Amino acid sequence: MLKYLMRRILISIPVLLMITIIIFALMEIAPGDVVDYFRSPDLEMTAEAEEALRERFGLNQPPTVRYLQWLANVAQGDLGFRFTDGEPVAQVIGRRLSASLLLMGTALAIGVLVGVPLGVFIGQRQYSFWDFSLTGFSFLGISTPAFVTGIVALLIFSINLRLFPAGGMRPVATEATFWSTVHHLLLPSIVLSLNFIATFMRYTRFSMLEVVRLDYVNTARAKGLTPTAVTWRHIVPNAILPVITVIGLSVPTLVVGAVFTETIFSWPGMGSLYLEAVRGRDVPLLMGMNLVIALFVLGANILTDVAYAVVDPRIRYD
Amino acid sequence: MWNRRLTLTILLALLLTLVPVHAQDAGGGGTLIGAFDVGPGGAPKVIPFMDTAGRTWLSKIFSPLISWNADMSALEPQLATEWSSNEDSTVWTFTLREGVVWHDGEAFDSEDVVFSLNLALNPDAATNFPGFSSLSRESVASITAVDAFTVEVALNAPNPRLPFFMIFAWVLPQHALADLNPADYQTTDWFFTNPVGTGPFMHDEYVADQFWALVPNPNYFRGAPKLDRLINRYFADETSALLALESGEINFTYVSGDVALRLQEEGTYQIYDGPSGVTNYFIFNLRNPVFQDVRVRQAFLYAIDRTAIAETVLKGTAAVVPCIGAFPSMWPDASELNDYAYDPAMAADLLQQAGYDTAASYELVTYYNNQFHLDAMAAQQAFLAAAGINIVPLAQDVPTYNSYFYTGEGWDISYRGVGVNVGNFPFSFYEVGGQPTTDGAPLMGELFPELQALIDAARVEADADAYLGLLQDICKFQNENALEGYMWTAVRFGAGSNDLQDFYWFPAAGGGPYEDHAELWSVGE
Repeated sequence: MLKYLMRRILISIPVLLMITIIIFALMEIAPGDVVDYFRSPDLEMTAEAEEALRERFGLNQPPTVRYLQWLANVAQGDLGFRFTDGEPVAQVIGRRLSASLLLMGTALAIGVLVGVPLGVFIGQRQYSFWDFSLTGFSFLGISTPAFVTGIVALLIFSINLRLFPAGGMRPVATEATFWSTVHHLLLPSIVLSLNFIATFMRYTRFSMLEVVRLDYVNTARAKGLTPTAVTWRHIVPNAILPVITVIGLSVPTLVVGAVFTETIFSWPGMGSLYLEAVRGRDVPLLMGMNLVIALFVLGANILTDVAYAVVDPRIRYD
Repeated sequence: MWNRRLTLTILLALLLTLVPVHAQDAGGGGTLIGAFDVGPGGAPKVIPFMDTAGRTWLSKIFSPLISWNADMSALEPQLATEWSSNEDSTVWTFTLREGVVWHDGEAFDSEDVVFSLNLALNPDAATNFPGFSSLSRESVASITAVDAFTVEVALNAPNPRLPFFMIFAWVLPQHALADLNPADYQTTDWFFTNPVGTGPFMHDEYVADQFWALVPNPNYFRGAPKLDRLINRYFADETSALLALESGEINFTYVSGDVALRLQEEGTYQIYDGPSGVTNYFIFNLRNPVFQDVRVRQAFLYAIDRTAIAETVLKGTAAVVPCIGAFPSMWPDASELNDYAYDPAMAADLLQQAGYDTAASYELVTYYNNQFHLDAMAAQQAFLAAAGINIVPLAQDVPTYNSYFYTGEGWDISYRGVGVNVGNFPFSFYEVGGQPTTDGAPLMGELFPELQALIDAARVEADADAYLGLLQDICKFQNENALEGYMWTAVRFGAGSNDLQDFYWFPAAGGGPYEDHAELWSVGE
């Protein structure tokens, strides 16, 4: 297993390099740069001022030189400064990543804790009232975008009922506490989790239905095991494998963040930061963010493989 | 006895002069939470000079020498109480306010102003734009502290409008920043963690991406503010800020015209409004021979019912303009202007006279993406199509648009906005080298000697009335020649909760700064 992990990590290095080259190239091809972002229709900018800005941001250097400089800095642990306000990229990403992990992690946890058991529940009751009802809900959950559910949730729970704050991570007029953070976190994470719940429930149901009719399950039943024991000892451990893949594939979304939800709830996470970086043509920030996201995606894939081995003793990587 | 009483009185008077004049009890007026950086206030960047907007908030901490007055109709003294120039406007003298202290208790004087103005002109410092507005280091001969409260700025060429440029020059504390390398202004966190200004409020707490809280400055030169705390909460967009306003979490935000009208009808909010000072117009690329014909340009104006769009599509939140000037003071008498009233027959006739190809189609590029402008563009497209002019609106993000617009190539017509006021007229669009273009020609693509003569005269005209007269002549020339497709200037709105008292907001371009008397603001019954 250890050998397998080492091999996977070593393979990831050229993949990461490729990703950074592609992102850098895409930014080069995209029209406009940070100087164009700074131009204002209200203020004049002379050719000299434009040149001074390009000089400051190093945009006068050839793309290959800029990329290699960036790579050399990254190798020394320096992600540089963001163009638009000069803040260190690592600092910005660290702050935004923790906000996204908190929001998306909570949403994912709710999705797993609610979606998987519901999937198990309806997987055993095919074509029942509960199956139709919850499957209908899952279609609604998957097809309704977060910016719709978010706005509706805010209108009902923040404006009409005034049960939850209308956005932000903490109160601004008073000190932040653990409970005030939970209070701010609940509504956006529930809104985000709706999609996770629906997805995980659908996959679990489908996977349960595949396993529930297999011979070894019938054998277990014939041996006189209780339905609960059959479900949790024989069906769920086997049915959960494809669901782990789906959950594993959802992990990168923790890092990328949810642009719409973060925007509607004024949650300062990675999703809204990514949008800001693209709008500002902020190359150092975009490169840093993509590096972090790529690391998480590769890490999530490796972790999914490990989780497979833990859940299913038949799987060995050595 | 009399002598003792006189001596005691004199001693008492002397003692009183030693007590800081402005030190007063601050606070008691509640906490005001606003979304000051949504809308025209600008992005939540907080480093002065680097910020092209957001001055509504910056002016709570820092002060310039001069600002706009409350409605942008004239200049208002801030750290400078008086200003004057020599006859040819090459030497300007600024008299500074005495008795002002920085937030950390140090005394303010002319050395701080000299330091700040030099910093603003230093290309190594965090300036994205040339100095204070459009000045460059080369245009300033010297900045000198004549005495503790007098500063002299000598210029290499006459500039009668220099005081208007001082609006953008924030005064920073030399004692706190002198040791900082100018190049490090781009990365210092001093402005977020430990800013020291002379404004009405002092730094309290800054949480990146979320909010910035201030407390009153008891020594503010206009008197101690009434508020206990002033908080700027950051929102990614207008909708989120509006939801926070409606849920009672914030007291103020910028709102778009349609929302303002709805809130006004509900009667549960105080609505603040004022002219944006931004003119929306079509700029024709005169490198294209089709648009060099004045009849074609005039046909665009006759073909569009601008008044109907302003009244119906824009719901009365915009006023039609006759030229680039956004304010009536910049227009000549109506009798000297063509109002280009909606006349599709006239438009068709002019197009025919000009030999315009009605099968041709032109992209109307813009950086506007909000519904207000997109609806207006759809209406413009429909009116023009009815007259035989085919345009295809194309909205892009700002960097993409800017990446080619200023080269003067790759576009034929653009729908855009420009901030125009008497102190900052966009002369450079009409001049060679005024904006960088690939062929060195003016952005418009053509020179107009008569217009250039008016611009040259206005640039050096020191008399305010004569200057305004020249701006009106420029307006008349633009109107006659339909130099651009002048549309409208929008009214902008802010919405505040009903418990706001003595609160003032004005939609000055870039947030001002303007005199809003923040020291008088309070929240409560």
